[in-house]
Amino acid sequence: MSRIGVFVCHCGLNIAGTVDVEKAARLISNYPGVIYATDYVYMCSDPGQDMIKEVVKEKKLDGIVVAACSPTMHEVTFRNTVASVGLNPYRCEIANIREQCSWVHQNNKEIATEKAVQIIEATVEKLKLDKSLVPLSIPITKKALVIGGGIAGIQASLDIADSGYEVVLVEKNQSIGGHMLQLSETFPTLDCPQCIATPKMVQVGQHPKIKLLAYSEVEEVFGYVGNFKVKIRRKASFVDWDKCTGCGLCIEKCPVKVLSEFDEFLAKRKAIYTLFPQAVPNKPVIDSNNCLYFTKGKCRACEKNCSVEAINFEQKDSFIEEDVGAIIVATGYDLMDKAEIGEYGYGKYEDVIDGLQAERVLAPAGPTNGIPYRPSDGKIPKEVVFIQCVGSRDPEHYYPYCSKVCCMYTVKQAMLYKHAVPDGQAYVFYMDIRCNGKGYEEFLQRGIEEDRILYIRGRVSKIFKDGDKIEVWGADTLTGRKIEISADMVVLAMAMIPSQGVKKLAEKLRLATDEYGFLTEAHPKLRPVESLTAGCFLAGAAQAPKDIPEAVAQASGAASKVLSLFSQDVFYHEPIIGSVDEEVCVGCGNCVSICAYDAVELDLATKVAKVNPALCEGCGACSAACPSGAMQQNNFSKRQIFEMVDAFAKGS
Amino acid sequence: MGEGTIVVKELDSGFKYRVTEEPGGEHLMRCYACGTCTASCPVRSIDESFNPRKIIRMAILGMKDEVLKSDFVWLCSTCYICQERCPQDVVITELMNALKNIAVKEGIIHPGYVAQATEIGKFGRLYEIDDFANKKREKMGLPQLKSEGKDIQTIYKSTGVDNYIAKPEEEE
Repeated sequence: MSRIGVFVCHCGLNIAGTVDVEKAARLISNYPGVIYATDYVYMCSDPGQDMIKEVVKEKKLDGIVVAACSPTMHEVTFRNTVASVGLNPYRCEIANIREQCSWVHQNNKEIATEKAVQIIEATVEKLKLDKSLVPLSIPITKKALVIGGGIAGIQASLDIADSGYEVVLVEKNQSIGGHMLQLSETFPTLDCPQCIATPKMVQVGQHPKIKLLAYSEVEEVFGYVGNFKVKIRRKASFVDWDKCTGCGLCIEKCPVKVLSEFDEFLAKRKAIYTLFPQAVPNKPVIDSNNCLYFTKGKCRACEKNCSVEAINFEQKDSFIEEDVGAIIVATGYDLMDKAEIGEYGYGKYEDVIDGLQAERVLAPAGPTNGIPYRPSDGKIPKEVVFIQCVGSRDPEHYYPYCSKVCCMYTVKQAMLYKHAVPDGQAYVFYMDIRCNGKGYEEFLQRGIEEDRILYIRGRVSKIFKDGDKIEVWGADTLTGRKIEISADMVVLAMAMIPSQGVKKLAEKLRLATDEYGFLTEAHPKLRPVESLTAGCFLAGAAQAPKDIPEAVAQASGAASKVLSLFSQDVFYHEPIIGSVDEEVCVGCGNCVSICAYDAVELDLATKVAKVNPALCEGCGACSAACPSGAMQQNNFSKRQIFEMVDAFAKGS
Repeated sequence: MGEGTIVVKELDSGFKYRVTEEPGGEHLMRCYACGTCTASCPVRSIDESFNPRKIIRMAILGMKDEVLKSDFVWLCSTCYICQERCPQDVVITELMNALKNIAVKEGIIHPGYVAQATEIGKFGRLYEIDDFANKKREKMGLPQLKSEGKDIQTIYKSTGVDNYIAKPEEEE
């Protein structure tokens, strides 16, 4: 016979205001198997927990039910409470009489009390069959994989490596640095991004604990927290980077010129190229789509001029495997495709450019040395119109979210334009101005007061060409009138979207994404850097649009999560998972196909299902799908569920 | 205030610089159009067309003529409520004075002001002293007053005010 104690919580008036808690405790104390029942104002308080401990010891209880709030709130609390006095924590059950009873039956105390008693009775029935489970302990490989070498990935890698753990940093481009290296200056301090980012890049390149895999992509991911196996594709660069000294002679001699992605198609690069002079690693790759040797079978100028014979036209993609214990995804963002917004003339008019192009135009180290020559004819524009929220905050046509950084970078770009062209005029069309970081509002005011940026509250309806001017028609809602500006150049602050290919990567890592492809955090407030896949963490704009300080902060947050995982030798995993009765299993495979975590497989030899306990998240889908009842969830067995249903049925 | 399209190339884009150089107008660009001034304006509560926010907005945009000729700039009662309440310290009442000063230099003066100045130039004060007033003063033991504009005319001449009021006088 069980020795069960029941503890009914008032939760102030949250429960006691609706449920007659004293009566519920009195009634349940007579229930078979229950030898003690009481009520208390706040069970989760220290005195409440102390009372539970005392009773467990005194009455020699073998299980308790706490009738209180949802188990997502305090299940862990009470399990720890009973564990501290020697009871197996899985012999503690929560009967939810708040969210599922008192809060929904506020008008009827009698019915609410009756239902609360039934919920407790059903929970007692479940408890009677609960096993004393022990958490699984899983060994941890103390090495991290960071995907993406932008500022977030760089920060996370350095934080982990500086703490003494090995890091594999995978970057798809030939250099780390990300979008930050393309920027002109950074708000609100007008720091030069190259000046503040390149020291970090060099640290990554030199760090003995960081294995930098540039020009590489994650191909496959197997395993689970603490024990991931990652296959990485090293894309063929056609240059043997071990031999290459980075002298740059090959680049100089290459006769092919194509538009540069790094300069946002405003300048040219060679077919063999590095992204920028401070690249880490500073090694070139050959763009085989444009290289004369690859397209026409001749040239080889780079090969002829390479003194260390590093050019290798025969190079193929290669693959390496890494065992890691944790993964940080920092894949960043792209700008929305500008061609999508026809009414703003992008693609039709050369002098309508996007935010990143404006960065390159204004960058002191950019193709125009920071002098904002306009693309069409190289004239210095005297009237520049900036348009915010292009594609953002437009749920009807594009994206409903705010891209968050555009308000600030538009102030910055308008300011830098004015510094370069003091007699020019910058206009900014905005819907709202959201400058909500430290020093951001002051930066905006500085732009308006000192640089006389004209802010116009309204949307632009139409952009068209008139001679060498670009006519911008919009509304100035502050005067309530239509406004027409004859501009020389227009800058569109396009919406930020997740970087290309992140959806595929998310599938490989079993990460959830929102409908736009941003990676979903485990909890929007309380677990912002974790994903729902144990051992995978998020950093930077891959999770949502964010600026540099936020991306860096999140990267450090993700790194500290990895470090706290690495601070233990084993990882404890919840034992409430699926388990197979091998005698009963017929090997139909329903469980295998329904599992969202790839945790179940068919054992080829025995033809029965096998659960990988480390991968199983205990969702219960397999046991629901099992036609024979062979697959059962620990402490949620079919029999337990039937007992609970019976308890409810008896009550009514 | 007209309600047509604002065509920026027809505006005076340097106007905002001129205003911020004029004493009282220095903080023009600080305005972030919150509307506290408009909400506080006692004139506005009677006449919807009196809208300090809008005037500031138009000045920033460079709508010089509309601003300088607007009734609001000239008929603002200078109660200072907007100035006291402005979170950005645009010093609106002083700004209105700055706009009036610019207007005068541009030869734009509200007819009400011209009429007043003309009266003062004629009588030495805003209205003519008649016999009735002087009789009343005598009864009260006060000295007699003369309606006499000569001294004022001298001041007008030496300060250049007569340049501004001469024209309307001729029209009369």
